[in-house]
Amino acid sequence: MSTLDKVHTSSRPVPHPKRSLITRLHMGTGVVVGVLFAAIAYSLLKNSVLTYTDGVADPLSPHNNNIVLLGAMFAWSIGFMVGIGAFIGPWRWLIGKDLTDEEILYMAGDGQGTKRYFKYCTDHKVVGIQYLVGVMTLLGVGGTMAMMIRTNLARPGGHFVTATVYNSLVGLHGITMIIAMIIVATGPFGNYIMPIMIGAYDMAFPRLNALSWWVLFTAIPVLCSAWFLGGIPTGWTAYAPLSVQAGPGMNAFLATIIIFAVSTAVAGMNITTTVVAMRTKGMKWNRVPIFVIGSTISVALAIPAFPTFMVAMIMTSLDRTFNTGFFDANMGGSGWLYANLFWIMGHPEVYVILIPGVAALMEIAPVFVRKPLFSYNAAIMGFAGIAGLSILVWAHHMYIAGWAPSLNGAFMVTTEMISIPTGLLFLVLIGTMWRGKPWMKLPMLSVIAFIWDFLIGGITGIYLSDVPADGYLHGSMFVTAHFHFTLMGAALTGAIGGLAYWYPKMTGRMLNERAGYISFWFVQIGFNVVFFGMFMAGAEGQPRRVMDYAALYKNSNLISTMGAYSVGIGMIILLWAVIHSWRHGKVAPMNPWGAKTLEWTVPYPVPLTNFDELPVITSDPYGYGKGK
Amino acid sequence: MADHSNEVLAPTPGERLANFFKRKDVARTTVLFFLWTVLFIVLGLFFYPKWMPEIMSKEMKSAESIMIWFTVISAPIAGIVLAITTNAFMNMHRGDTPPEDGPAIRTHGPIVAIWTIGSLVFALVAIAWGLIEINSQAIAAASDAKSAITVEVTGSQWLWTFNYPAQGIETHDLNLPVGVPVIFDVKSADVNHSFWPVQLGVKVDANAQVTTVIHTTPTKIGAIDVKCAELCGLYHAYMETNGAVMSQADFNAWVVAQGGHTA
Amino acid sequence: MSHDTEFHVHHDSDAAVGRRERLGVRLLIVADGAFLFSMIFSYFYLRNLNTNGAWLPKGVKHFSTGSAWLVAIPFVVAAISHRLGQENKKTRNLTSLVTLVVLLVGGYLQWHQMSKMPFLVKDDGGVVSFNGAYASNWVLMAGSGIFHYFLGAFIALGILIRNRTTNLPYELDLWRQRTAQSWFTWCAVAACLTALTLSVI
Repeated sequence: MSTLDKVHTSSRPVPHPKRSLITRLHMGTGVVVGVLFAAIAYSLLKNSVLTYTDGVADPLSPHNNNIVLLGAMFAWSIGFMVGIGAFIGPWRWLIGKDLTDEEILYMAGDGQGTKRYFKYCTDHKVVGIQYLVGVMTLLGVGGTMAMMIRTNLARPGGHFVTATVYNSLVGLHGITMIIAMIIVATGPFGNYIMPIMIGAYDMAFPRLNALSWWVLFTAIPVLCSAWFLGGIPTGWTAYAPLSVQAGPGMNAFLATIIIFAVSTAVAGMNITTTVVAMRTKGMKWNRVPIFVIGSTISVALAIPAFPTFMVAMIMTSLDRTFNTGFFDANMGGSGWLYANLFWIMGHPEVYVILIPGVAALMEIAPVFVRKPLFSYNAAIMGFAGIAGLSILVWAHHMYIAGWAPSLNGAFMVTTEMISIPTGLLFLVLIGTMWRGKPWMKLPMLSVIAFIWDFLIGGITGIYLSDVPADGYLHGSMFVTAHFHFTLMGAALTGAIGGLAYWYPKMTGRMLNERAGYISFWFVQIGFNVVFFGMFMAGAEGQPRRVMDYAALYKNSNLISTMGAYSVGIGMIILLWAVIHSWRHGKVAPMNPWGAKTLEWTVPYPVPLTNFDELPVITSDPYGYGKGK
Repeated sequence: MADHSNEVLAPTPGERLANFFKRKDVARTTVLFFLWTVLFIVLGLFFYPKWMPEIMSKEMKSAESIMIWFTVISAPIAGIVLAITTNAFMNMHRGDTPPEDGPAIRTHGPIVAIWTIGSLVFALVAIAWGLIEINSQAIAAASDAKSAITVEVTGSQWLWTFNYPAQGIETHDLNLPVGVPVIFDVKSADVNHSFWPVQLGVKVDANAQVTTVIHTTPTKIGAIDVKCAELCGLYHAYMETNGAVMSQADFNAWVVAQGGHTA
Repeated sequence: MSHDTEFHVHHDSDAAVGRRERLGVRLLIVADGAFLFSMIFSYFYLRNLNTNGAWLPKGVKHFSTGSAWLVAIPFVVAAISHRLGQENKKTRNLTSLVTLVVLLVGGYLQWHQMSKMPFLVKDDGGVVSFNGAYASNWVLMAGSGIFHYFLGAFIALGILIRNRTTNLPYELDLWRQRTAQSWFTWCAVAACLTALTLSVI
């Protein structure tokens, strides 16, 4: 019997509220109702008065097509949520018949074994695993697309895929990975581990926790549908007016982001409220583990940032359906409006991605070096400074857009200033490692790799932030290499470290060490080769997002492609290790790393409410070291 | 009289510093520091010039300078960070149980202060460099405006068109006379493009129905590549054209050959 | 149902739960605030750019500067009426009904305005579009208004029904009245900011 099945011992009563719809709903009913709603929306809209031209629906009109598709996509999402029981809670609130304790326990998955992973389950540990699977799926899909892009670019003149497919690969790889990276640390670990780390029974809003996962889930088929609708011609930034002109596949992109924004706002609110309001007795702010602080700052930044993206997507949808003119110069609109709204979200967003990964590594380093975290306060100032400044830098993505050249200097100042709090993050990690003997397990290796990757990412970012250099580098492969070093090299590396670190607590097993090391080296070496090749290509003058290039760039591209295959092999090995160890890995002791945070004080399987009695905290979790 | 002959004096600051560097971990980290710093300096000084195309304007030279010198200035920072990291890596403990706890260093006020101030100084240097350069480019653009040649650039899916109003020609090749300031008035016929004459080191987006402007002065004779730097649809990769910076005489001849007029 | 008592869920105190629910709603207000900010930013940015003179093309009609205030008033009234009944169990049945009705009226008013948009044009193929950037921004704000009216009405209906239900935990429900107050107040503020924006033509 797998360790997943042990939820409770047989002497406790199993909740099974009779006559409650909750017991009959699950992912399957969600899919059925979702498809049903989509079909109804599709046929209603196709025949409705919304599709104009003298009362006759014109099936060939792009605007009509967009209305129908967008309507069907949103209907699918809403229908799925109806079908899986998400609205039972609000409905019962409305009629004044709140859920009983038995129903609450049932919704927490009590007594349901593996089935609970396919239901609207409120247990944060279940949601954490669901997010982990979701993230791995997105990484797999996005990664495959990356392999296809690099294969196409292996040689000049190569036509592994057609132009339409290539452009779609570029844009869809981008958005898939961005979504994956936003949730890669806060999704699995922010959900599963964080409440235990702060000594809580669950998150502040368990039902909304389930909601944020399943809403995200509904976005995945919507995103994939782009492939069946002709793909997208834009990058992940979906700049207007190209996005307004684009074919039906663009609707899938727009709907995905709008749906995702709902999931993220709810999740961000949930994590923030949980950390602010539910820390256990004695856990004052200066005793909170750094991973919790970093994750909270990250999601708190996401709350005001993402709605701006949502608005930009809604505006694009309106331009494509009801002929508004937000981005059409003929109608008083401007592509610069889009760019501003997008980047007001887009820059804070990359720090939303970065901070949890770094925070996870800061949680790991003290454990494996057996020293306190160096300057906990500097770490917090670093995260807070980055988050605060990130709201002021957005137009460095638009230095050469021509929208406001006189503001370039101001944005350059704010952007350069971010290097100060960022530098503090490095200080904290190297200070922690100084005079220590690091226990070189996979989590610690990730710390080492991060330092190199983020250093390169950071230095190359400094050139880009300087306006005169950006005049050359903007829109070239150099930029692509820079942001992969930061987003992938820092955030993904941090998340992989977090996965290796928390795997024993989430699965009860140890991750296969040898496979982990092999994967690590394939990924890290390959990663550096891919993007070193891209720095070269960019410096040589190759634009980004191109399906072909001049012969001059052939060496850099070939190097880059070979690196990509190495990364692919490494990630497949990691995937194999994660899946294989889940069933066959060595059974893990309660605290395999000798760490001091609360999650290591609970056994696996973690009891439904984590603790029998909430712990009382008397110190921070970094009390390592002789002579404290 | 008290006998102080056997007193052990506290070490002088110089002695403390010397003792610090004699420590094994510090000595090794110092060596690593020099190795990493030199590596980054070499990267900056040699690789960027090697990779980057011909420099044919002051803006291009400025871009290359920034990349080289910011790398060199960052080199010591990279040096410290990587030295401490590699030193730690070399100290690694292997095995199935964690090593003994290390020293309980929770913070070090002076180090944090020095690090923060150091980053501030670095940021200010970068800012000053950038602002001075922006300013000098703006001044040059303003003062050169009177003697500049204007080229109206139109990006459309997927080609570049150049209109020289004073010369009365329209072409798809970008030819320019050396040493003469040029003003590019850029716009798009459809979606966003980005006008990038690579060797001139300047770039500006092409937007529909709005004109954006950049200035530069070609300083060297030779071939230039004009590329599009903003994804603009299916054939973005092929939205390139050729051009050249040539002597005034050759330029005049070319203009006339296109059916235009000089002066 | 006696077997209910077998199942025990740890419940934090009503005040603790109530306060954290209110915090959660306030965080969602931050998100909604960002949404509003984006719409206001768009309005003023496009007005400032006036690309091709098409912010409000010649001859295109616009709503009066006061019209958006008319649609904002129901939100303000709802916020006040909810506040009056919040702590007072006696008047609550009346005030919650007033809140609901006012919000439904507001939603209707907003819908009515949208049905009378004066800046639509129809081309030869019968395709309707929004003439000018003012028009585009207006309709987005109006659409957002309708959404918020109907969401508000849902909340008000729930409060109305729950006020008349007798077996709910009193203190938790009191906290939820306060939470709803945060939301209604925000909607009133947002409606006024929108009206202020739309009065600058």
